[in-house]
Amino acid sequence: MAEGAGTPEPIARLIEAFHRLPGIGPKSAQRLAYHILRVSPQEAEALATAIRDVKERIRFCSVCLNITDADPCAYCTDARRDGSVICVVEQALDIMAVERAGGFRGRYHVLHGVLNPIDGVGPEDLHIKELLVRLGDGEVREVIMATNPSLEGEATAMYIHRLVGPLGVRVTRLARGLPSGADLEYTDDLTLSRAFEGRQEL
Amino acid sequence: MAERPRTYTAEGVILRRRNIGEADSIFTVYSDREGKFDAVARGVRKTRSKMRGHLEPLMRSRFLIAKGRTLDVFAQAETVHHYRVVREDLDRAATALYCAELVDRFTVERAPQEGLYSLLLGVLDALEDGCGIAVARYFEVQLLALTGYDLALEACALCGSPLPAEETLLSPSAGGLVCRLCRPRAEGGRLLSLRAVKVLRYARRETLDAFAAVAVSPELDGELRTGLALMLRHTLERDLSATRFVEDVRRLPAAHPPPSPGGSVE
Ligand SMILES: [Zn+2]
Ligand SMILES: [Zn+2]
Repeated sequence: MAEGAGTPEPIARLIEAFHRLPGIGPKSAQRLAYHILRVSPQEAEALATAIRDVKERIRFCSVCLNITDADPCAYCTDARRDGSVICVVEQALDIMAVERAGGFRGRYHVLHGVLNPIDGVGPEDLHIKELLVRLGDGEVREVIMATNPSLEGEATAMYIHRLVGPLGVRVTRLARGLPSGADLEYTDDLTLSRAFEGRQEL
Repeated sequence: MAERPRTYTAEGVILRRRNIGEADSIFTVYSDREGKFDAVARGVRKTRSKMRGHLEPLMRSRFLIAKGRTLDVFAQAETVHHYRVVREDLDRAATALYCAELVDRFTVERAPQEGLYSLLLGVLDALEDGCGIAVARYFEVQLLALTGYDLALEACALCGSPLPAEETLLSPSAGGLVCRLCRPRAEGGRLLSLRAVKVLRYARRETLDAFAAVAVSPELDGELRTGLALMLRHTLERDLSATRFVEDVRRLPAAHPPPSPGGSVE
């Protein structure tokens, strides 16, 4: 990024830091940095503290790998949740999506990625071993694969299905169909054919 | 923005995807006319994207592409074939991804290789139609031939003398089969059974359909796979990432009831 020689070093450093964040281009990074310059010292301090706390206090749940400030996390310790069903997701953010949708009252497992053979992301790079440990005690009856319906997400679901198969645990996959608000005209054949197979009585 | 961007159309197979930013992805495509190229699909990871589902690795799609300053941009995409059987079977998907990585590694951008696109489509079609994953051996042999690394299979790669019908060394540094006398000069390789040698020659000479009709046992496939892997590593001077995945999948327990779409896969 071409920060003029006149830009004071601390500002240049802040711009650079913002620029490294996902989705932040050079212009936005500049705007954010100059915004911080204008806010009150308290507000700036609160932001700095929030960032520091995230790094110091947030860790992975030792059971489900969710991000949490208490280990095990709230989902793993909540006695009202059904411990016999585990919903497997790609990333911790996906838990929030499932929770927002409501209806699921089991527990979670976060893989922190998906298989990506060409980029060299293999099974040992995901938290699959921890999932197998959880399936070892016989309490879990069903694993719901909630990975994305992408090639990588599908491959991950199939891989885990094959791995878990011999343990006698039921493995299910989220239905793949039309997203609400979708336009049939623009829907790809794969999604459409799967949606036909998953059709239901009205 | 300055001048109106120029557009072009292409048809190709998507080899790989890299996600960037919040909702964009860069896809590497191998196409008949353009060869290999990268282009970005803006917002494709959003549910409402019209291109989502038409842009997935291992899909054959048609594209309208706008020329960009640094990176071309997908303007439209429509699936020609989604290879559903391949993507819903882990062994097939792993093999197809392996072939996709080979195409990626053996090509440079915007330099189409005569015959390579139809070879790739042929192998994907064969996997889709239920052929065994040994078609990957056909793909490897033909890929080497198309890209200028044709294997010497009919006569000794070092001295040119005819090869007797016996166990024969496949030597990466020599570029093919090597006779018994030349073995000391061949700097390693893999000794292939006569049967494996015959399958190699068959793969080099015959059509994909003819090769796909031959039953290749897992043992024979393993012999050829390791031999050809040495050749490919020697040629590329690197390991392929997808090889490890193919091996991981091979070690899994056999697929008992295949996962059914949309519902329970108990
Ligand atoms: Zn937890
Ligand atoms: Zn010789």
